[in-house]
Amino acid sequence: MLESRRWSTRVILQIVATILVLPFLYPLVAMVQESLSGTGWNNYAVVLAIPELPLFFRNSAIISVVVIALVYVCTMLAAFAFSKLHFRAKEVLFWLLLAALTLPEVVILAPLFATATGLGIYNTYFSVILPLAALQVPFTVLLTRNFIDGIPDELLDAARVDGATTWKTFRYVVWPLTAPIGAAIVVLTLIGTWNDYLLPLVFLQDPSLQTVTLVPSFFVGEFNNDQTKVVAAAVITALPEIIAYLLLQRLFERGLSAGALK
Amino acid sequence: MTTVTRAGATRRGARKGGPQDQARAVNYLWLLPAFVISVAVIYFCVGYTAWISLLNWDGISPDPVFIGIKNFTRMAADPVFWDALQHTVIFFVVTFVGQAFLGFVFAVLLHSKLRFAVLYKIIIFVPVVIAPATMAPIFRVMYTPTGQVNNLLANIGLGFLQQPWLGQSNTALLVILSIAIWSGTGISFILYFAAMGQIEQEIIEAARLDGAGSLRVLTSIIWPNLRGTTVAIAMLTAIGSLKLFDIPQLVTAGGPNYATEFLGTLIYRQSVPLNAVGYASALSMTLLVLAVGAAILLRLTGRERGERRA
Repeated sequence: MLESRRWSTRVILQIVATILVLPFLYPLVAMVQESLSGTGWNNYAVVLAIPELPLFFRNSAIISVVVIALVYVCTMLAAFAFSKLHFRAKEVLFWLLLAALTLPEVVILAPLFATATGLGIYNTYFSVILPLAALQVPFTVLLTRNFIDGIPDELLDAARVDGATTWKTFRYVVWPLTAPIGAAIVVLTLIGTWNDYLLPLVFLQDPSLQTVTLVPSFFVGEFNNDQTKVVAAAVITALPEIIAYLLLQRLFERGLSAGALK
Repeated sequence: MTTVTRAGATRRGARKGGPQDQARAVNYLWLLPAFVISVAVIYFCVGYTAWISLLNWDGISPDPVFIGIKNFTRMAADPVFWDALQHTVIFFVVTFVGQAFLGFVFAVLLHSKLRFAVLYKIIIFVPVVIAPATMAPIFRVMYTPTGQVNNLLANIGLGFLQQPWLGQSNTALLVILSIAIWSGTGISFILYFAAMGQIEQEIIEAARLDGAGSLRVLTSIIWPNLRGTTVAIAMLTAIGSLKLFDIPQLVTAGGPNYATEFLGTLIYRQSVPLNAVGYASALSMTLLVLAVGAAILLRLTGRERGERRA
């Protein structure tokens, strides 16, 4: 854009960029600093010695994997049907799904609570998995339908002429072409589930079932508000996410910004 | 055996009762998982919320009392509700302008062949990835009277700006806004960066040959070309404003004196700690109407954009 030929302009742009990026870096640096103040690395040793810590990661992993699997299967089947198959009231059904696109989870908190206690699934993984998947599906179906709309019908016609059933056309013609949008769905759902705070807060009371977003509140109780250890726990919680992002930068950037590209 | 028909072809009404109709009935099976897991759960819950909003109920007692629209009249008379609504509007305007501006500036800078561009990009995008719930403890510590922010201000000669950030109404809201911009700018940056890469270099070259300076190219060519992206960012931040919960709940708990109360935190407080589930459901229905309104607006502007491009 601003391909300046003079080196002085380039230096100025470099300085401007550096100054602007510092406020973004600052909280991360402050976080590491705070986690090392007081007793230094010992904060980490104390936090890592808490036997419950791995459970938070295990719970988040289990919940994320199940939500991703549910969302992926529901999305692929529904998006293919909405895009390539004919049936009555198709657009009405599509709008029915889309109406839930922007639904904030807090809106369905009360009925979820009443239903979960009624069904006896309160304080189980399931009480968090089901609403998370339910709220994610409308959005991923919209994204995936738009993507599959881009696959030419001629490809499907060719398969039909060769005698393929609808299922085989989906399985061997369409599905293999959906890898890019599939990756976006996985990343979006993973971050949405892993980072969710409200549903685990309300529905997972037993510390052995809680997720990583509840680590800070657990440690506030555990360490009687010793902030350095609470922050050390936060650093440990953030690390896997940062590492995952660094390893898969393009995938994360595309997946997380896919939301605006509908 | 069902067959795939051409998406564009109109076969509606043809051969009534024939094999084509059977095929269509089978086609509904493809929607079944999504509709059982998503539509059924969501519509059941929304209907249930609508019913609860007409009750005086604590969420546990076996005999709730039907009170009609009293929860809604209570809401209309509740100054905290109007405060929360006002904060939501302020939050939307400020985070939209802040994220769009910073995202645009970073996108321009990183398109200017800077050194260490990848490093800048990573620093801007990492806040998008980390959970707000994970970052909340450090933000609470940073903004305490003896925290890093006040220390930093003293060290750079701005000691007169030191204040108890989270203890005062106006600065507490400011802190919430800054955290939201911090964690959201990465998205607007990536969107602008990608959109800028699609602008044809010929147009920019032609403008330069006509004597346009860098600033003129930015304001007259690049910015107008990114209108669609800016609309998308506006929609994303609008929905983000309505969904906001984690940051105000964990950093300020809606305080001090409701200064950082948003619809999300208000509904949570009413339904969980205060057990006013009926009232919380009335608030939820209001939030639902706002969210669906935003969704419709999003579809309409999205469609308009698509048509203009075509």
